[in-house]
Amino acid sequence: MTSSFLLSLTTFAYLLCTVLYLAGTIFRFKPLLVAGTIAGAATLLMQTAGIGLRWVESYRMGYGHAPLSNMYESLVFASWAIMIIYLVFELRVRQRALGVFPALFSFLAMAYASFSKDIDSKIQPLVPALKSNWLIAHVMTCFLGYASFAVSFGISLLYLIRKRFPEDPNQDGGFIAFLPGASQLEWFNYQLVLFGFLWLSVGIITGSVWANSAWGAYWSWDPKETWSLITWFIYAALLHARNLKGWKGERVAWLSVIGFGCVLFTYFGVNFLLSGLHSYAR
Amino acid sequence: MSKEKSAPGAALGWLSSLKLTLVLFFALAVASVIGTLLPQEISLPELREHFSPVAASLINFLALNNLYHSMWFRILLLLLCTNLVACTIERLPKTIRLIRRFQDPFDSQKLSRFGLSSSIAAALPIEQAQSVVESAVREAFGRMCRIESGRAGGLGPFCAVSETGRWSTLMVYAVHLSVLIVLVGAMAGSFLGFKGAMNLTEGETSDKVMLAGAESVTELPFAMRCDKFEVSFYDTGAPKEFKSDVAVIENGSEVLKRSIIVNDPLTYEGITFYQASYGTSLKEAKIELTEPDSGKKIAMTLPFRQPVTIPGTSDQLMIDEYEENLMQVGQAIELVYAKQGRQSSAQWILIDRPYHGNKIENYLVRVTQTDKARFTGLQVKKDPGIWLVWAGFTLMTLAIGLTFYSSHRKLWVCIEPDKKSRKTIVTFAGRASRNTQAFEEEFEALRRDLENRLKNPHASHEIRGHKTDKKGTE
Repeated sequence: MTSSFLLSLTTFAYLLCTVLYLAGTIFRFKPLLVAGTIAGAATLLMQTAGIGLRWVESYRMGYGHAPLSNMYESLVFASWAIMIIYLVFELRVRQRALGVFPALFSFLAMAYASFSKDIDSKIQPLVPALKSNWLIAHVMTCFLGYASFAVSFGISLLYLIRKRFPEDPNQDGGFIAFLPGASQLEWFNYQLVLFGFLWLSVGIITGSVWANSAWGAYWSWDPKETWSLITWFIYAALLHARNLKGWKGERVAWLSVIGFGCVLFTYFGVNFLLSGLHSYAR
Repeated sequence: MSKEKSAPGAALGWLSSLKLTLVLFFALAVASVIGTLLPQEISLPELREHFSPVAASLINFLALNNLYHSMWFRILLLLLCTNLVACTIERLPKTIRLIRRFQDPFDSQKLSRFGLSSSIAAALPIEQAQSVVESAVREAFGRMCRIESGRAGGLGPFCAVSETGRWSTLMVYAVHLSVLIVLVGAMAGSFLGFKGAMNLTEGETSDKVMLAGAESVTELPFAMRCDKFEVSFYDTGAPKEFKSDVAVIENGSEVLKRSIIVNDPLTYEGITFYQASYGTSLKEAKIELTEPDSGKKIAMTLPFRQPVTIPGTSDQLMIDEYEENLMQVGQAIELVYAKQGRQSSAQWILIDRPYHGNKIENYLVRVTQTDKARFTGLQVKKDPGIWLVWAGFTLMTLAIGLTFYSSHRKLWVCIEPDKKSRKTIVTFAGRASRNTQAFEEEFEALRRDLENRLKNPHASHEIRGHKTDKKGTE
């Protein structure tokens, strides 16, 4: 068994999860949602094994590094992080009907990593700049942040959908009624943004400590650094507006959508459109 | 806010307003976006190559080509700091008053106006209700603290509060302080430190650093010697390691010997050396000049950047530059020809491709031999503010983490006899600074527990295993 086989299987398994969650929500059939959770957890285990195996394989090839060093590996880790954050969240709030978007994002990340022609899935040796213990700390913290922002983005979308289609008391409400209430969604969104903000901050800090030991500057306004700071500003604005100005509801949901747009640009846009110190992340 | 406010008061009000915070966050975000989309640190002539003249002058006027170091971007950052400080001045005293043990007297009417409050009528005497409430609250929230009700003689209602995580409201100030510490550290670094580069040929010793940005040189209090530079490659062709073996020379003697690789810099007396680049430099070249008319050949040895007189003339030749790969055609040297009383001329000569353009003045030039050496490019930095930056980073991580995992939760309880029904009324209210959803659930659980215990005091006492001898009387 190879890591690439396990990771290909993971891609399809996440598609299955998405379908289960979606069908469970649309048909309002709880057992399908339970199946979605079980499939999600099983896929996560398989993916963990795949990532671990890839790590071992890199040692066999004589390169020996954590599988967090290029676009392919970071996409796999992003998909893993989204799923684990979502499942822990699901366990804590006992709400299964929110799984559609996280499962979809995990699937999309894996599908993009596996099928895009721009992305090389080969295990490659580390260039000198990446040879550092900060690699694991920096990439893991950043992607935990990105992943919770992704889950919060999914919840914001559900929130906005819920607001667009107010419940009709004459009907049974359709799948909308199956979702948690708006105030609960609002609260979940806030919790995930706060969690993501913590990890994004730590990610920026570890990146900056690393940059200082590799290039002798903890901050050099490189496009990746700058975009992570832009993301940080947007979410900082969201937290301040919500906590002190009492912004709730749609405005916060939209800010969360904009914030996730910044996350996506920090991740993909900077790599493909702008040049800078993170060019090895292609 | 009162309408008649003094000018400084109004200024503080504006500077500490949350509106300003939000405007600054969005302004900084938009400015940073512009900075990543436009090319940075390029000059006006270079701008003119990429943009129309009007756009180029506009970009130059607004300093968008050096945005992050421009005055207006710094003013935005300074305003953000001022906003932080002003907010702290305005809010911190209130917060401290709030988290002190001080508690205003309250009564059941005040509690019933809380967003989260409840009231239970119990058929128990007040002392017993009090002990039941105390033990239930202690289990769910923590120890209760009695508050003087304000009425003389202790005949008033029993009022108490229980709270946890009072310090958590201070965490947000710690986050703000950490931002200031980081910025002060960054400023200290840019005013008191320097950043530069040093190219050392194998075997060379130097104490001179070319400063970044300015065309000036600074001298270190000690010298660096490069003993060896090595590059290794993976079998895929990708670089594996860049390594410089260096020595620190102080007062003529070697005090430290080490190698520097990427991600493992060397720090000596507060100055850090990073492996940044490498290259090949030219020590000297042997050239052959051919006079076109007579066909006479002249052989010369030119040390790098030292003028040498051409035999039989009063003119001088000098190698001014060396390029390893000039415009993709290989190695080249730039020769400067100096003739007395005339402006000197310069010409690039290709080393690997002898062709008819290899000419200076009237001479055809051929490079017959080169003596080269490898050099290592070290980045040199002195940053006395770095410890402040690290301290700020540590504080920020801890404070944001603790903000996430803690919350200030407070419970108010008021127990008083009801004159009409001769029952005891227990009124309680709660408030949490964060995670209010979970707090509401806990509050509801406490309410149910209290209701249960107040209506059925014996059962709950027996379960808890004490006070079973004391019987409740109606």
